[in-house]
Amino acid sequence: MTAEQRARSLGVHLVLIAYSLLAVGPILLVVMNSFKTRSAIFGSPLAPPDATTFSLVGYEKVFRSSHILTYYSNSLIVTLVSMALVLLFGAMAAWALTEYRFRGSTALALFLSIGIMVPIRLGSVAILNMMRSAGLNDTLTALILVYVAQGLPMSIFILSEFIQQIPKDLRDAARCDGVPETRIFFEVVAPLLRPAIATVAVFTIVPIWNDLWFPLILTSSDSTHTVTLGVQQFLGQYITDWNSVLAALSMAILPVVVIYVILSRQLIAGLTSGAVK
Amino acid sequence: MPESVSNITAQMPRAKLAGLLLFFLGPAVAIYSLFSIYPLVATMALSTYTSDPSGGRHFVGLANFQTLLGDALWSKPFWNAFGNNLIFFAVHMCVQNPIGIALAGLLSLPGLRLKGFYRTVMFLPTMLSVVIVGFSWNLILSPLWGVASGALKAVGLGSLFAPWLGLESSALVTLSLISVWQFVGIPMMLIYAALLNIPDELIDAARVDGLGHFRIFFHIKLPLVLPTISLVSVLTFVANFNAFDLIYSVKGALAGPNFATDILGTFFYRTFFGNQLQLGNPTMGSAVATVMFFIILVGLCLYLFLVQRRIRRFAF
Amino acid sequence: MANLRIEHLNKRYGATTVLNDVNLKIEDGEFVVLVGPSGCGKSTLLRMIAGLDGASGGDIHIAGKPVNTLAPAERGIAMVFQSYALYPHMNVRKNMTFGLKFTGVPPAERERRVAEAARMLRLEELLERYPRDLSGGQRQRVAIGRAIVREPAVFLFDEPLSNLDAALRVSTRVEIANLHRLLKSTIVYVTHDQVEAMTLADRIVVMNKGCIEQVGRPLDLYYAPANLFVAGFIGSPAMNFFEAKVGSVEGGCARVAGPGFRSFDLPTASLRVGDTLTVGVRPEHLGRGEDGPFAVEGVVELVERLGESSFAYVRRADDRLFVAEVRGRQTPMPGERATFFAAARDVHVFDAASLRVSTQNDA
Ligand SMILES: Nc1ncnc2c1ncn2[C@@H]1O[C@H](COP(=O)(O)OP(=O)(O)OP(=O)(O)O)[C@@H](O)[C@H]1O
Ligand SMILES: [Mg+2]
Repeated sequence: MTAEQRARSLGVHLVLIAYSLLAVGPILLVVMNSFKTRSAIFGSPLAPPDATTFSLVGYEKVFRSSHILTYYSNSLIVTLVSMALVLLFGAMAAWALTEYRFRGSTALALFLSIGIMVPIRLGSVAILNMMRSAGLNDTLTALILVYVAQGLPMSIFILSEFIQQIPKDLRDAARCDGVPETRIFFEVVAPLLRPAIATVAVFTIVPIWNDLWFPLILTSSDSTHTVTLGVQQFLGQYITDWNSVLAALSMAILPVVVIYVILSRQLIAGLTSGAVK
Repeated sequence: MPESVSNITAQMPRAKLAGLLLFFLGPAVAIYSLFSIYPLVATMALSTYTSDPSGGRHFVGLANFQTLLGDALWSKPFWNAFGNNLIFFAVHMCVQNPIGIALAGLLSLPGLRLKGFYRTVMFLPTMLSVVIVGFSWNLILSPLWGVASGALKAVGLGSLFAPWLGLESSALVTLSLISVWQFVGIPMMLIYAALLNIPDELIDAARVDGLGHFRIFFHIKLPLVLPTISLVSVLTFVANFNAFDLIYSVKGALAGPNFATDILGTFFYRTFFGNQLQLGNPTMGSAVATVMFFIILVGLCLYLFLVQRRIRRFAF
Repeated sequence: MANLRIEHLNKRYGATTVLNDVNLKIEDGEFVVLVGPSGCGKSTLLRMIAGLDGASGGDIHIAGKPVNTLAPAERGIAMVFQSYALYPHMNVRKNMTFGLKFTGVPPAERERRVAEAARMLRLEELLERYPRDLSGGQRQRVAIGRAIVREPAVFLFDEPLSNLDAALRVSTRVEIANLHRLLKSTIVYVTHDQVEAMTLADRIVVMNKGCIEQVGRPLDLYYAPANLFVAGFIGSPAMNFFEAKVGSVEGGCARVAGPGFRSFDLPTASLRVGDTLTVGVRPEHLGRGEDGPFAVEGVVELVERLGESSFAYVRRADDRLFVAEVRGRQTPMPGERATFFAAARDVHVFDAASLRVSTQNDA
């Protein structure tokens, strides 16, 4: 490397490091201070916790005065069930739309793609009415149904692109082998869609975990709140208790960060796989 | 060029094809129609009704819209929210896209080390909930904690500090920037992916022609990723005109100070559910949602007919 | 094992006709190779036999039974694809048995068939491997193995060797020929490669633009092409063509004359004075020793040396080029003026409708 190239590379790294700091700094700051005493939070906000300033008082408060574990399990149930259904029904629909020629398939594809661009939130008034009259008000089922409906169009779109990339010969070979159509989907096509899960996750599953709107309008009791809503309400209630607020925020942040770091390679590969251009 | 659709259905008995389609498409179409399309249509229908105190509903045609756009009591907050929403969107377009492009450009430099690390770190905020991000920034920018003012003081700019989120003049832009901070990962990643898709030979050819890194970026790479940039813009548009979580979690349903941060999402929420100042009104709420729907529709049409058509997609 | 009968088969996509009135009879145990330029409908024909594409008209019979309405699996066929189409998430054994599960073959029988196919194709060591861990040639053999275990009446191959390198292509070609000898099954095989077609086929079907141009044994196609298209398509380098006219007809002989070559007599009764003809002579049949009625002269422009022989590109007086294959070390030099001769039986004559003019030389 020449000196000029080295200088340029250094400059690039400086910019990237600066932006990386800007990106994680605030998160780090919140998480770090959540482990400190109140006086240390205000006295030296930028210092990491040490033996004298370490404190878990905020976390104790959160556990004591909120149903954080219930919120977690609610969020997990809602997200995992929605994810399973979005992937399963999405892949099945995407398969039928890309593989079978039938009258009205283009119209149906267009109909399904409305939901990619038009946010389902705009139908909230009617959704609430529907859930009330169906007795699903304030249940996780209501959330799951709405999220599946919300996630399906995008997942069908993404999965269609992936299915199109599976060589056509493979399906034809299976047909020559006498494999029934449903088995072709479940045993030949579906296993090959695994890389698509990450892409679908980024675009449909993460928004479900993070959503505030539908828990806010569809759930009213602590037993059905999700993490996002539960923490939001907790924050509003204890706004002046900095220890608790920081702890609650960290408890919402940390699991996501841990899962993200573990899966980041797949997630980013899914995002850049070219399926969504 | 043979299509990807299979011809297998041509020989299939009709009943078998119908059965297969029902099996594969049934669940998705049913859930989607019932919980996405039907509510949208029902909401639009509801926007032509009004409810009296006894709970009865009457058809009133477009009266709700006349009220919304003509009655100063409604139209002032509506246009305020609409204007704020435009500013919210403008800040995203002017800040989020350039930063996203620049970061993607740097990340796609050949031979860059630590690429994976940078990517992971810079995309992290996008994974978090808007509520958490909003509230975290609320704390950081709070004069009570003093982190932001301390940081500015450290670089000698202490005098610039103000409680930005609390001031009517700066609250909206500050919130927009927080949102940009969170979502810049999306344009960055999509543009990065598009940049990676440009064949190396094309870049090599330009290098042989004597173009430097900057010229290559502006004259070759950027035009080739324009379709992605316009896609990102339209995604941002839809997300912005439907945003709610951030304002609600930082500023509450009243979108203070003095409605300075009120956007269509919060306006819709207040209209529908009510708040300290007014009672919830589902039919007016439906009217607001319907107007939002048309705003998004107009935006999408503008994109499809004006932008999308002119942009040429390049095949490599 | 079964015979295959195709009658008046048509295939249209919208307004474009991909196959036009294809008729073909394939005997039990016959190895038939389909050749033709890219896009002429070879794959389409094969896929229609397999039942992967439906017919727009016409009938297909396998073993005497009409199969038009049957699904691929019910037709008693097995297909080997150019891309191999191995299931990437199943190992070799699973790849071979997967299809059998659904056709009611009991597990013990499945194992027996896999073992036998593996032995035949030397795949025993590879049974537990996944396709990604196999070389191109091994994948190819697995794909063939997957077809064999189905014990089909008809094997369909779509350019099975085109993804292999030259050496592997030759050895796999020999294996396929052996396999055919062993299994004695009916095979329909698509290829671009003339050598493959000539060496493997009992009969070759030459297709062009969705129509069958000629069906025949390899040497028949070579020595007696039925029309201009087949004449130009079979053989490499391609046959030289010369424009000609019938000058006079006399005593069962027509005098053929044209620019650039010496007039000669053709022993045929079917021509009239003034008929337009095309005379064709293969480069390998043009020699320098005077041994036939056909002679063409020109200036050598370029010589390609291949070792055993050389190709001379020669420009005629009327400014057209022709190619002659010259054997041995005595290659002509560029700039040299040379005359080439061909024997009567190596001179092909086609009439204005591009059809072969039969002569007494053909006998
Ligand atoms: N689904 C389709 N729609 C329209 N045209 C098609 C379709 N499938 C094939 N064709 C056309 O049919 C013609 C024959 O295609 P086919 O694949 O049979 O050619 P081929 O002889 O196998 O060529 P190659 O040697 O290149 O494999 C081509 O012109 C192709 O464009
Ligand atoms: Mg083909």
